[in-house]
Amino acid sequence: MQIVATFEHSIQLEMAISKMEQMGINDIFAIPMDNRPEQPRLFDTIHRSDGISLFSTGMILAVFFSVIGASRGFALNWGPIYWGLIGAGFGFIVGFCIDLFRQTRKKKRHREIRGKKTEVVLIIECKDSDGQEVEKILWEQLAVGVGKVH
Amino acid sequence: MIQWKRGSRREIANLSIWGTSYIHPRNPYIVALWSTTFPGYGHLLLHKYIRGFALIIWEIFINQSSHLNLAMVYSFTGHIEAAKHVLDVNYVYMYIPLYLFAIWDSYRTTVELNNLYQLIETEKPSVNAFTIKPLENNYLDKRNPFMAILWSATVPSVGQLYLNQIISAFFTLVVTVIFVHYSHFIEGIHYILQGNIPKSTAVMDKQWLLYMPSLYLFNIFETYMNVIENNKLFKTEQRLFLKRAYQTKNLKIKGNKVTGNANRSNF
Repeated sequence: MQIVATFEHSIQLEMAISKMEQMGINDIFAIPMDNRPEQPRLFDTIHRSDGISLFSTGMILAVFFSVIGASRGFALNWGPIYWGLIGAGFGFIVGFCIDLFRQTRKKKRHREIRGKKTEVVLIIECKDSDGQEVEKILWEQLAVGVGKVH
Repeated sequence: MIQWKRGSRREIANLSIWGTSYIHPRNPYIVALWSTTFPGYGHLLLHKYIRGFALIIWEIFINQSSHLNLAMVYSFTGHIEAAKHVLDVNYVYMYIPLYLFAIWDSYRTTVELNNLYQLIETEKPSVNAFTIKPLENNYLDKRNPFMAILWSATVPSVGQLYLNQIISAFFTLVVTVIFVHYSHFIEGIHYILQGNIPKSTAVMDKQWLLYMPSLYLFNIFETYMNVIENNKLFKTEQRLFLKRAYQTKNLKIKGNKVTGNANRSNF
């Protein structure tokens, strides 16, 4: 039989392959997939990182305004720490808005994908009697989806 | 499909017990702007640590000697005469060339590394995914960007430890302790939390406190950025490995016969 499983890139994927190989299954085929580009978000996550999150300009402007805020704070009632924090918050929001504005002006060519993605497809050729064990390994190692062909 | 090659001319990453360095495309303006907040920070983003640390040490020395931060505080609060008075003429002119050099050099290096990245990418160099030595080990894995931000926000340098950037973590910790010690930053926060703003303002040192915003925010940004690129490197390495080791040519997909109509229903 053949079992098809989809995964995200992770150490678990390699553990799944290794466990199946220990069972004596040697017909494993792996296809890394290219995924549809996504809309940028404020932060990248552990499973999703395109590096164009809306974070860069905000952090730099936060430093600029925080320095100015803290300086002026020495002469103002609330003191340098509060004014430094206000400056940082203000700078970050301004930078974030600039990035957001620039990104939304770019053409939206691709629809957004949410949630888990299929980054690798595994095709495993095994005996029918091993099917259940292989399936169990795949689910234990966080497969996104598993399908069987008899 | 591009074929796997061994022995490519250039490497894309180096994984050692001291940390993981790699080349990846970056926005040269972002790197140059970090250099304006603190000379050396742009270079740290490029993993050019020796240059970065040297520029940071230079910046601290020359800023302390010329009293530039103090002059900034006086300027921003409108005391122009005091600013002029406090600046050390002998040192401030040494400050300017290196400040501008750091910005220019980090911009130039980013552009060059971006070009090199394009060349290296086509060569598909192998990436070392694991190393173990008597006193430390290091490996490629996925790490959580939110954890990097949270830990970096506690004490600068902890985020670098999360990424196993040992030398960078040590250097950052030393700099952080020096800045906190002389600026009385934590004392200032202590009095603020007690509601005593005038005492908080009075206890903090103007010259040293101005280093804090860039130090604190840069380290959050740097570790965040490194986690993202570290995760990408992990993914790239795994893709190359899977293509090399698990793409035999005699695969046949099993299944029932596909009838012709199934594919035409879309037309």
